[in-house]
Amino acid sequence: MDTNNINFGELWNAKNAKQPATKNLLVKIKKLKRSNRIGLILINIILVLTSIFFLSIWFYYEPELITTKIGIVLTILAMFVFVMAHNRSFKLFKNAKKTQSNSEYLKDLLSIKTKQQFLQTTMLNLYFILLSLGIGLYIYEYTEQMTSFWGIFAYVITSFWILFNWFYLRPKQIKKQRAELNEIINKFENIQSQLKQE
Amino acid sequence: MVFEDLYKMYWQKIFRLCMGYVNDHDLAQDMAQETFIIVWQEMPKFRNEANISTWIFRIASNNCLRQIEKQKRHPKVELPLNLKYVKDENIEPEIQFLYKCICELPETERLIISLELENIKQSEIANIVGLSEVNIRVKIHRIKEKLTQKFKENGHQ
Repeated sequence: MDTNNINFGELWNAKNAKQPATKNLLVKIKKLKRSNRIGLILINIILVLTSIFFLSIWFYYEPELITTKIGIVLTILAMFVFVMAHNRSFKLFKNAKKTQSNSEYLKDLLSIKTKQQFLQTTMLNLYFILLSLGIGLYIYEYTEQMTSFWGIFAYVITSFWILFNWFYLRPKQIKKQRAELNEIINKFENIQSQLKQE
Repeated sequence: MVFEDLYKMYWQKIFRLCMGYVNDHDLAQDMAQETFIIVWQEMPKFRNEANISTWIFRIASNNCLRQIEKQKRHPKVELPLNLKYVKDENIEPEIQFLYKCICELPETERLIISLELENIKQSEIANIVGLSEVNIRVKIHRIKEKLTQKFKENGHQ
């Protein structure tokens, strides 16, 4: 087929867009850098504040039993795990080399997405286990001071809440994350298959 | 090379590449800006042994490829950046048709044909995309055939 009678190059080059001033772009870059930094600082501040909150319970109420203390530590640990996982999965993308060829870049993106999937599921499980254990241990000292009826009642309610989290919220969250990631992974795989050498 | 020079030299080219990829003027402009933000960030790492054009087009096309995932994460926000800009209405319909046809191609073909129309050497395109030169030549030929076909069906000469 003759492809020379339509000058695609000419049509292509006729398209232009007003170029934003360099100054504006540099302002944008600075803003982006700042907002990235603020995000990171904010997460860490929240983490430190919650830890301080739990530790102050430790010092203020002076729990006597070791279970309470372990409970507090586990709860803090759960939050650390969560934030760490969040930070790490964010960093993975920063490490993808943006100046490699498209096919290499796609390979990188796919492996990152798979890692992210693993990270999210594992960390979410770990988070829920640590949090449940932590709360379970923490309330022991205080339920012990109650009558056995109210003590058991408190544990039943707490267990119910934990089971609800574990069997309803957790799978729901994982399913949602999976669906999102799978959709992206499928699309990347589809693009990658376009690049198969013929 | 200074960033400002690169920005001036490559802005329209990068914009057209993004435009071929998404066929949406505002989004393409945002993507072109994103590309230059990455260029700015990556510049200290640039070694002169690489070809600057290959380097910059790799960044731009990789950014296009990541668009799928970004659209999922941040639903598109309309930024009235250039309110004064007159939209494409009075541009010849052929130009619009070309960009529309290109945007309907599979993702990698969009990038390949955009680079070809930007008059980039096929060896360089091969280097940007990560395929052999022979492969690129075959692909370009096929894509041009497809486009010609579409133009003919649409009654363009």
